[in-house]
Amino acid sequence: MTALLEVTGLKTHFLTRAGAVRAVDGVDLTLRAGEVLGLVGESGSGKSVTSFSILGLVDPPGKVVGGSVRFKGEDLIQASPERLRQLRGRDIAMIFQDPMLTLTPVLRIETQMVETVLAHERTSYAGARERALDMLARVGIPAPQERIRAYPHQFSGGMRQRVAIAIAMLHGPSLILADEPTTALDVTIQGQVLSEMQRLVAETGTAMIWVSHDLAVVEAIADRIIVMYAGRVVEEGPVAEVIARPGHPYTRGLLDSTPSAATPGGRLRQIPGMAPSVLNLPPGCPFAPRCAHVRPECSTPPPVRRLGPERTVRCFAPLIPEVGQ
Amino acid sequence: MTGQPALLDLRAVSKHFTRKPDFAERLAIRLGAPEPPVVRAVEDVSLEVAEGQAVGLVGESGCGKSTLGRIVAGVHARTSGQLWYRGREDRAFTAEEARRTQIEIQMIFQDPMNSLNPRMRVADIIGEAPVVHGLFPSRERVQRVGALMREVGLDPAYARRFPHQFSGGQRQRIGIARALAVEPRFLVCDESVAALDVSIQAQVLNLFMDLRERRGLTYLFISHDLGVVRHLTDRVAIMYLGRLVEDGPTREIFAGPNHPYTRALLAGAPRIGRGRQTFTALKGELPSPINPPPGCPFHTRCPHVFARCRSEMPRLRPVASGRLSACHLNDQA
Ligand SMILES: Nc1ncnc2c1ncn2[C@@H]1O[C@H](COP(=O)(O)OP(=O)(O)OP(=O)(O)O)[C@@H](O)[C@H]1O
Ligand SMILES: Nc1ncnc2c1ncn2[C@@H]1O[C@H](COP(=O)(O)OP(=O)(O)OP(=O)(O)O)[C@@H](O)[C@H]1O
Ligand code: SF4
Ligand SMILES: [Mg+2]
Ligand SMILES: [Mg+2]
Repeated sequence: MTALLEVTGLKTHFLTRAGAVRAVDGVDLTLRAGEVLGLVGESGSGKSVTSFSILGLVDPPGKVVGGSVRFKGEDLIQASPERLRQLRGRDIAMIFQDPMLTLTPVLRIETQMVETVLAHERTSYAGARERALDMLARVGIPAPQERIRAYPHQFSGGMRQRVAIAIAMLHGPSLILADEPTTALDVTIQGQVLSEMQRLVAETGTAMIWVSHDLAVVEAIADRIIVMYAGRVVEEGPVAEVIARPGHPYTRGLLDSTPSAATPGGRLRQIPGMAPSVLNLPPGCPFAPRCAHVRPECSTPPPVRRLGPERTVRCFAPLIPEVGQ
Repeated sequence: MTGQPALLDLRAVSKHFTRKPDFAERLAIRLGAPEPPVVRAVEDVSLEVAEGQAVGLVGESGCGKSTLGRIVAGVHARTSGQLWYRGREDRAFTAEEARRTQIEIQMIFQDPMNSLNPRMRVADIIGEAPVVHGLFPSRERVQRVGALMREVGLDPAYARRFPHQFSGGQRQRIGIARALAVEPRFLVCDESVAALDVSIQAQVLNLFMDLRERRGLTYLFISHDLGVVRHLTDRVAIMYLGRLVEDGPTREIFAGPNHPYTRALLAGAPRIGRGRQTFTALKGELPSPINPPPGCPFHTRCPHVFARCRSEMPRLRPVASGRLSACHLNDQA
C-alpha cells in the first residue's frame, strides 16, 4: 500500500549570521490515509518547521536543504509555488500553532471563511456563508450568526483557535497538519472539537499529523507517535506502547515530568540540563549531556534500533530490549 | 477572609464589549434596526486573593478568563464594579500608587506573538522595562537578561534574535522572562505554560513555586490544564459564561466538585494511561454571552436541570466552609 505522505531525510536549516540553525535535521515519517500521527517533543525541536517544510512555507533565511516530501506520490519539494497554493487549503490544510497566521486581523471572520470556501469551490456567497456558519457551530462557537461578523481580536484565544480549525476542515482535506490545535481549549470544548475531527477522519479518511505537548490527548486520538529532539526523530511507534514503555531516555524523561507523576504542590521532575543549541550540536547523540544512561559511545551518532514490529528508537542504550538481533 | 485585607479584591466586576456598527449597519440602525449586540464577557465577578496565594481560574473557552485577567492587570477598563489592591480602591490611587501597582501586577499574555514587539530584540524586550524603572543599572543588563533567559530554559546566546526566529514555546518563555524581569508581586498567568513541552513546563512551574516561596509572589493562574492547576494552586475559581460558578480550596474541589459544570469539566479530562478515546460533545445548546439564557447560565447543558433553573439565577453562596457554589441543587437537600 502506498503512503499518503512520505517524508524522507528532511533537512531544513536557517542560515543566520551566527551559523546554520539545523532546525530539522534528517526527519523521516510516513502517513497512511485515515491515520493520526502524534508528533511530540522538546520545545524548539523542529515540529513546526517540519510542518512548514511539508507545505513549502519556509521563508528565507530558512531553506529545505535535503530530503524529499511525497504527497500521493507527488514530490512537494520540487512542486511550483502555484501547485502548492492549489494543494494548500484544499488537499492539505494546516492549523497553525499561532491562529493569527491563518487569520487576517483587519477582516471579519465572515469574509475570511467565505473567501476560503470560494477559493476552491464554485458556490454562491450565500452557500459559502451557510457552510461557514455550520462549521462554526460544530466547533462550538455559540450564536454564529452574530459572531461571524466579528474581527479576530474580538474573539478569545480559544475561539480564534477554533476558527482556524473550522477553516482547516472546510474542504474535507486528505491531510491536516495540526500544530498545537487545542492548547487554548478547555476539556469540554476540546471534547466537542475532537469529536468533529474524529468524525472527519472516520468518514472521509482524512489523515492528521497532530503536534502537541499534551500527551494524554495524543494517546487518546493518535495511532502512532513520533518523538523529536533537536531536529531529529528519536523514537517512533504505536502510541499506547510508547507511552506505556518508552524506549528512549528522553521520552521517559518527558513522561516523568508530567504533574500527574508528582505529589500536588511538590517539585516536579524535570530533565536535568538545558536543551542543546541547534547551532552547535554535539556530533553524537544530542541528548547525551542530559542523559542518565549515557555511555562512551554516545559521543558518536547513535544507530536506529528496532524495538518491535513498528517501533524504532535512535539510541545506544534503549530502555527496553531490541528485537530480532 | 479574615484579618488583614486581601491583596486583590474584585467587587462585582463586569466587562461588556460593544461592537461598532459598520456603514451598512449604521444605515439600517437609522432605519430602525437594532444596535449590534453587547458581549457580556464578565458579569458581576467578586474575587479576593490573599498575598502569597495561588488562585487558579478555569472555565470554558470564551467564558471571560482573559478579560478578567486583563482587568486585574489594568489592560482593560471595566464596565462596572470595583478593584481594590493593597486595601485601596484603584480609582483613589495617587499617581505614585498607580505607577507602583502597574509594576507590581504583571501579566503573561495568552498569545505571545501578539504581545511581543516584532521589531525588538529579545535582550531589549526582557531588559528594557527593568532598566527604565531603575531595578538594575543598564551596565548589568546583559548579565541579568542572560540569567532570566536561563531561568526559563532559553539559551542566552539567542539574546540578539527577534521574536519570529523562535519556536512557539520559546516565544512563550520570552513573555515569562519579560514579566519576571520587573520583579512583580502579583502575576497574572494566562495559559502561560500551554505551549511548553512537559519537561520545560516542569522547569517553569518549579520556578513559579520557588518565587512564591522566596518572594511571596501571588498568582492568578488561568489555565485549561487541570493537572497543572491542581498541582500549583491552593484555591480555584471556576467561571461559566462570564460568571463565577464555584470557588474553593483546590484539593477539596478536585476531590468533590459541587457545581454540575465543574463536575463535567473534571470528568472529561483525558489522562495519560487511559488509552484511545472517542470524544463526544456535551449535550445541549452552547449559551452565548450575547444573549445569556435566563436563570442559571448552565441550564441549557446541565444534566440535573429542573424548572427553577430555567427562570431563577442561582446566587454564588457558601456550601461548606470556604466553599462557594452557584447551583439550585444546594437548596434541595
Ligand atoms: N526564522 C528563524 N531563524 C532562526 N531560527 C529559527 C527560525 N525559526 C525557527 N528557528 C529555530 O528552529 C528551531 C525549531 O523551531 P520549531 O518552531 O520547529 O520548534 P517546535 O518544535 O515547533 O517548538 P515549540 O514546541 O516550542 O513550538 C528552534 O530552535 C527555533 O529557534
Ligand atoms: N476586544 C473585544 N471585543 C469584543 N468582544 C471581546 C473582546 N475581547 C473578548 N471578547 C469576548 O469576550 C468573551 C470572553 O473572552 P475571553 O478572551 O475573556 O475568554 P477566555 O475565557 O479567556 O477564553 P479562552 O479560554 O478561549 O482564552 C468572548 O465571547 C470574546 O469573544
Ligand atoms: S442551577 Fe440548575 S441548571 Fe444550574 S447547575 Fe444547578 S441544577 Fe444545573
Ligand atoms: Mg511549534
Ligand atoms: Mg483567554
